Amino acid sequence: MNQPIKYIKRYWFMLVMMLAGCLRLQAQVPSRENQVKAVFLYNFTQFVEWPAAAFDSGAAPLVIGVLGKNPFGNFLEQTVAGEQVNGHPVTVHYCNNEQEALSCHIVFINIDDAKKRKQVIQALKGKNILTVSDAPDFARLGGMIRLFTQVNKIRLQVNLDASKESELVLSSKLLKLADIYDRVKSN
Amino acid sequence: MLFQNLPIRKKLLRIILLINGIVLFITCVTFFFYEYYSFRKATAEKLRTIGKIISANSTAALAFDATDDATETLAALRTEPHIVAACLYDSTGKAFAHYLASDHTDSLPRQPFRDGYYFTKLYLHGFQPVMLEEKRLGTLYLQYNMSAMYERLGSYALIIAVVMLLSFILAYILVRFLKKSISVPILSLADTANIIYNRKDYTVRAVKFGNDEMGTLTDAFNQMLEQIHHQDVRLREFNQQLEQKVKERTAQLELVNKELESFSYTVSHDLRAPLRAIVGFTSILEEDYASQLDDEARRITDVIKGNTHKMARLIDDLLAFSRLGRQEITKAPVNMAAVVKETIQTLASQTDTSRVQWIVHPLPVVPANENMIQQAWVNLISNAVKYSANHETPEIEIGSFGRNGQAVFFVKDNGVGFDSQYKDKLFKVFQRLHRSDEFEGTGIGLALVEKIVVRQGGSVWAESEINKGACFYFSLPY
Amino acid sequence: MSQNTVELLLVEDNIHDAELAIRHLTRNNLANNLFHVKDGEEALEFIFGTGRYASREGVMQRPRIVLLDIQMPKVNGIEVLQKLKSDPRTRSIPVVILTSSKEDPDIQRCYDLGANSYIVKPVNFEGFASAIKNLGYYWLLLNQPPNH
Repeated sequence: MNQPIKYIKRYWFMLVMMLAGCLRLQAQVPSRENQVKAVFLYNFTQFVEWPAAAFDSGAAPLVIGVLGKNPFGNFLEQTVAGEQVNGHPVTVHYCNNEQEALSCHIVFINIDDAKKRKQVIQALKGKNILTVSDAPDFARLGGMIRLFTQVNKIRLQVNLDASKESELVLSSKLLKLADIYDRVKSN
Repeated sequence: MLFQNLPIRKKLLRIILLINGIVLFITCVTFFFYEYYSFRKATAEKLRTIGKIISANSTAALAFDATDDATETLAALRTEPHIVAACLYDSTGKAFAHYLASDHTDSLPRQPFRDGYYFTKLYLHGFQPVMLEEKRLGTLYLQYNMSAMYERLGSYALIIAVVMLLSFILAYILVRFLKKSISVPILSLADTANIIYNRKDYTVRAVKFGNDEMGTLTDAFNQMLEQIHHQDVRLREFNQQLEQKVKERTAQLELVNKELESFSYTVSHDLRAPLRAIVGFTSILEEDYASQLDDEARRITDVIKGNTHKMARLIDDLLAFSRLGRQEITKAPVNMAAVVKETIQTLASQTDTSRVQWIVHPLPVVPANENMIQQAWVNLISNAVKYSANHETPEIEIGSFGRNGQAVFFVKDNGVGFDSQYKDKLFKVFQRLHRSDEFEGTGIGLALVEKIVVRQGGSVWAESEINKGACFYFSLPY
Repeated sequence: MSQNTVELLLVEDNIHDAELAIRHLTRNNLANNLFHVKDGEEALEFIFGTGRYASREGVMQRPRIVLLDIQMPKVNGIEVLQKLKSDPRTRSIPVVILTSSKEDPDIQRCYDLGANSYIVKPVNFEGFASAIKNLGYYWLLLNQPPNH
């Protein structure tokens, strides 16, 4: 009885770290749904056109930012590893604040706080940044693409006006798949 | 029936039909295959294009896992009735969305095959990669029904058959009209030639129908006829002239003949008369003045008379010789055996042939002039008798054999013979190989024989050795 | 010689031939009533009693035999023969052609004209003599003349 406690006492730090690591690991294997979302994020790069001014140079990286909680673990990085779009290598950046998000081209907004979320959306408006989130009111708030699940499939809801504001051209192929958010008709 | 012997019209027809058929056939077959392959190619191109379009349109659906959209996109293929099935596979090869035409029953492939477009018997299958930038999102499968193509090709074949049949009929009709421009001129020319041949009228000319090769032939034909006609006319003239000449010559010859006739008549009469006188009066001398003539005188009168007789014989022989030249040769089958027999009998009555041993072989019947041949036999046999008279047992053999299509007769004796080195002189007029005190003779007999035989188409020759007899041959054509 | 009963008329122009013939006839006692003329004209005149023999007042001479040569001047033997044989008064007189011509046409012609005989004068002496003798005997003695 003494032995295990001794162990725990001596190695509690390691245990904690291990647990944390496990937790983190667990956190690092995202759910199927998030995997798909991650892939979607990458795929958006193929169906969206950024203006040339959005890049410093022709070879400047295209940055996918995750603002808020990172639900993808390493998966997003793995997905975009080595990929290029029009000569721009695709990279992932986990943003800590709005400031960092401004330097991204796509931002996945995963903020629970609605007010904050709204604020972020506003901040990223008109900035050549594609805003993506799975928050329910995302499109209404001015977010460009909302991911929602329907019949076990992840569907897209697109706010065209918002995207136009940001000078982003969404491919018609993408638009075809998506629900277009109509301010007048929907909530 | 041999192709060569067909009438020209039929030849033409067959040639035209053959060429027609071959050309059409080659053309049609070429086009047929060209259609087939270009249709296939076009179809493959079309399908490829459709595949590319559909796959391009399906990238988003594949990227964003939107099966409904993908299905909807595929459903648009309905507009192309020949596409009977389509299927989108994701990057793992799992069927993502599909489309099936209403009445299609075949099943879709479970997994995508190698990329590309493949023809099977009834369908064209296409596997088109769905690419987004350079990333492969999945595979699009399209199935195209080729039956339409086959139907179309079937129609082509039918059209070809109908066209060929029509062209045959047309060619057949055309050739019937051609007959006029080709067969008719040829046959007309042949007819003309026939007429000319039958009537031997060289003033007839062929009708010219056109200025083509037949026209040229007709012209040449007519020119030739012109030439023939002229030659014919000239020939006739020439013939007439010749006949005229012949008449004149014949008249001349007859004149000459007549002159010769009267000449020999005169000779025969007038030359003999003095001879008669010489002999007669010498005889009178001998008779009436016998007492005053001594032996020498009598010898002299004998000489006178002997020479006179000789002269008479010479005259006779010469006359016979010349008469021979003027006679017409009429030939008839002559029984040589009979002639020889008669000759021997006549000779026997004129000279002493009792000691002669006659060997007469069977002799054939040969066409000849009996009188002249008899003369020849007389000369030859009397010669044989004469020149073998000194032999103890004179033997005369007469026979014949055939050689080179002629009958050869021989008279062989065992008398004194003659010197072979002079045999060229044997048959010459007045040439003798013996002295007249040995054997009397005029030297004409053999010349006469030669003339007789040669005039009838034969030849004479002789062999001998001194004192071993002689053999005289003469030949006559059968 | 008696002109009325000439038995043998010799018509021969060659005097030597005539001499020889007469000699032989005489030798054989056949020349008793022989008359010799030298050409055809005279022969006809003699027989018909014309010309130089006209004084006989148309009394014809009918010899028992006429020996006639062919080759004669003026009127030749053929003509004489013709005349004799065509006249019914003289047709029956036997005429012997005595000539040196052996020519066939002559022989045929003479027989066609009615000659009774044709003798070729042989050149040799004996032959001639014998011919004349035979002739004479035959025609003057053996042969029965026609009745006048």
